[in-house]
Amino acid sequence: MTLFNLCKAMAELTADMFIVPMLRFQRNIFPPFSYPAGDLADWFASEGGIVTLAWIYAVNIAFAVGMTNLILVIHLERKIAARIQDRRGPMLSLRAFRELGEDLAGEAPTWRFKGNYSGIGIVQNMADGLKAITKELIIPNKADKFLFSMGPVIFISSSVFLLVLFPLSDRFAASAAPGGLMVIMAAFSIAPIGVLTSGWASNNKYSMIGGMRSAAQLMSYEIPLLLSMAGVFLLAGSYNPIDIVEQQREATWLFGLPMWNFIPQFIGFIVFMICILAEVERVPFDLPEAEAELVEGWTTEYSGIRFMFFLMAEYIRGFAGAAVATILFLGGWAGPWPIPPEIWFLLKVYLIIIFWIFIRWSVPRIRTDQILELGWKKLLPLSLINILLVIFMVEIFPYFDEIINLPEVF
Amino acid sequence: MNFKDLQKLLKANEGVTNISTLRENVIKFDLDKSISKEFFKKLKEEYYFEHCSLITAIDNQPDFELVYHLSCLSGELSVGNTKMAAMVEVHIHLTRDSPSIDSVSDLWFGANWHEREAFDLMGIYFIGHPDLRRVLLPEGFAGHPLRKDYVYEIHEEEW
Amino acid sequence: MAEMWISMGPQHPMTHGLWTLKVKVDGETIVDADPELGYLHRSVEKMGERRKYFMNTTLTDRLCYASSTTWTHSYVVAVEELMEVEVPTRAQYIRTVMLELQRLASHLMWAGAYMPDLGHITGALYFWRDRELFLNLLELPSGSRLLYNYIRIGGVKRDLPDGFQEKTERILTLFEQRLDEYADLFENSKIFRMRTEDVGKFTGSQAMNLGITGPNLRGCGVKHDLRRDDTYEIYEEIDWDICTREAGPGYSDCFSRYMVRIDEMRESVKIIRECFKKMPKGPTMSSRVPVRASGEAFRRTEDSRGEALMYLVGDGSDRPYRWKIKSPMFTTISACPYYLKGYKLADIPAIMGSIDICIGETDK
Repeated sequence: MTLFNLCKAMAELTADMFIVPMLRFQRNIFPPFSYPAGDLADWFASEGGIVTLAWIYAVNIAFAVGMTNLILVIHLERKIAARIQDRRGPMLSLRAFRELGEDLAGEAPTWRFKGNYSGIGIVQNMADGLKAITKELIIPNKADKFLFSMGPVIFISSSVFLLVLFPLSDRFAASAAPGGLMVIMAAFSIAPIGVLTSGWASNNKYSMIGGMRSAAQLMSYEIPLLLSMAGVFLLAGSYNPIDIVEQQREATWLFGLPMWNFIPQFIGFIVFMICILAEVERVPFDLPEAEAELVEGWTTEYSGIRFMFFLMAEYIRGFAGAAVATILFLGGWAGPWPIPPEIWFLLKVYLIIIFWIFIRWSVPRIRTDQILELGWKKLLPLSLINILLVIFMVEIFPYFDEIINLPEVF
Repeated sequence: MNFKDLQKLLKANEGVTNISTLRENVIKFDLDKSISKEFFKKLKEEYYFEHCSLITAIDNQPDFELVYHLSCLSGELSVGNTKMAAMVEVHIHLTRDSPSIDSVSDLWFGANWHEREAFDLMGIYFIGHPDLRRVLLPEGFAGHPLRKDYVYEIHEEEW
Repeated sequence: MAEMWISMGPQHPMTHGLWTLKVKVDGETIVDADPELGYLHRSVEKMGERRKYFMNTTLTDRLCYASSTTWTHSYVVAVEELMEVEVPTRAQYIRTVMLELQRLASHLMWAGAYMPDLGHITGALYFWRDRELFLNLLELPSGSRLLYNYIRIGGVKRDLPDGFQEKTERILTLFEQRLDEYADLFENSKIFRMRTEDVGKFTGSQAMNLGITGPNLRGCGVKHDLRRDDTYEIYEEIDWDICTREAGPGYSDCFSRYMVRIDEMRESVKIIRECFKKMPKGPTMSSRVPVRASGEAFRRTEDSRGEALMYLVGDGSDRPYRWKIKSPMFTTISACPYYLKGYKLADIPAIMGSIDICIGETDK
């Protein structure tokens, strides 16, 4: 029972009950539009229309799942960061509203939680989103109006596109592209266009410098990123995430313990982790938007919902980056039986994200020229060494058949 | 070099009057305006005063007075057998009409902004200063506020 | 890209105070710098000429709000020299304790403001959490957390409360443990070292010419501390060392200036403990404090940031005739082209943060 089958059933149902009768009704009522309406009614009743409708439903469900995870990631970041810093983090929640209401009405709160308004804090994110939406959208006077608005649009549309591209398990896949992971990396690489556009269109020296730094950093870390993924592609034999996870499921060592991909290719794993941190611009690599020197870097002039777009897009890219890392190196959705594979996948993604949160709040930033030096001089040779290692391993693995079990690819 | 020897050496210079010791490690004297530049150069190069601590401008009502505080940080001048740092306080009197003196900012860079502040608040002009403009008050400000005859006019400012 | 002037203007999240720094950059490298002050000029010197001597202690508190006791103390010591007032011994010991506690609070404030410049926001919260401990301690004798008005002409305002010594001892032990933890978190962190080493260098002899004093000078290896060199209160009866560090023979960088202040914090802990051991009983205020004064006097003291000098001229009335304040940061900021040239734009927060600027005292 895959996602696609479910959506196809839903599509047939809804087409039957709502869409086709509505369009047929259209045909009879309104003569100028009756011809396209009639064609559409026929198309929806046929196989192609149902399949298209099913894909639309599937993409929407995947988008909804991704956005829910986004809220959870943001909340997790704020709470864990707060605990590292010896404080509690956002505490606003529905219980807090009830306590506030009771307090204002003059009665004692019915449930005391150490005497202060407190809860899990998940409503805080909604409150922040509401605040961002109601702020005034300011465009600086001499800025290029069209490009100023387009910059965040490019950035967030490429990031949201990423959410539907990776599957959460065999059966929960909203995209069937055979070159799955390559399309994901291509979508990651659209971001520098959005960054440069916003930085330049703001008509502000700081933003321009920030945008250029950011573009330089993103572009120079693409190469070690892709090279470190090349090792996994060589072992698995295809770009499809489903094939990659299948290959990892069968790779075992010692007493049948799963080996996934981070042990045979630990150099690739480490290089990939560093490069994906630089790619999604988290600390220690977030100098382009550092508050200290460049105010907010390339997002300085943005306010309201446009600024929220940038923030959300960053967290979405972080989530997508962690998902790609899981698929490539941590075995994707492979795991023992009682827990469904989607939950395994999400557990592993959250593990990586929590690790990144710990790094972010424990380490200072690296300067841009040091970042570029790291990328070009140290990570690029390492990733090349990784490819050599993989080729070497694939050639000699028949001699280690008893302890390592890699499926035959070549 | 011992600090007591310095006092004798200073006495030997002309233009130096009223030498007295304030504390164990501070000598205070008056200096003639005309030989100020060479004397400061001598203080810096021969007598090891390589740090300019402060330049004060005082408005004694008939005329102006400049007070230079210079100190020796490197320990070349020893005060008895203690580890105290030696300091010298130089008073120079200037006329009211056009108070000006040679600048010492090429000897000690630290004196640069002290002289600018003396110009800004008291109106003393320093000849040879590389960039003499106001430092604490805004650029279009008229008058030198720290003078005793400065009258504060309440006027509307354009923002 | 051509050379352009960038103004890190008065409204900026990380310039530590209200001033403008204009830098001329060629690509990413700094070619020239031009600082501008005066946004916080409150004409303290002119106001001081209108007020009586003992009223000026409230003005001096507000000169540098991060380290206010040291400035009041500097003024009070200059006035005592002018009026020839004898301060009783117990008052001197209490003053030393308050000064060292204030130095700890000021250095912790600096460290808490320095860490976010490098990108380490957790560091800010850790250091400011510890600063809270010391502000609570300082609140016990004087009644306020930030601007104390505790040191008066002739002594201190009132005696230390009961139990002050035990509380201080407890907090000092806790603080020393925390300093060891922070050593692990910050000094041994490779990224921290990458950001602060070989950045913002100047030599000791250059610093003396430029007018730089205090921990910035001691970071170059020059052993100069006004608590020993021009001593005041009872620093000569206490056994303490001058902390110096160098990044190389005779020059300093951001890391050595950071380490000097951490060392100074440990020294201050030592000094406070010794003061408590040796503190005698007795009066806390001099019995004879005149109201009028005439003559001239100056004193210099070791503020948390360098050498603070107050020069007073009295004309026989009960108000100062001329009061001049010297702030260490005035000349240090003026010298910023010297230690900013040749480094990258991204180094400016690291360098200016390690200099420890407080604009309140600079602008008077």
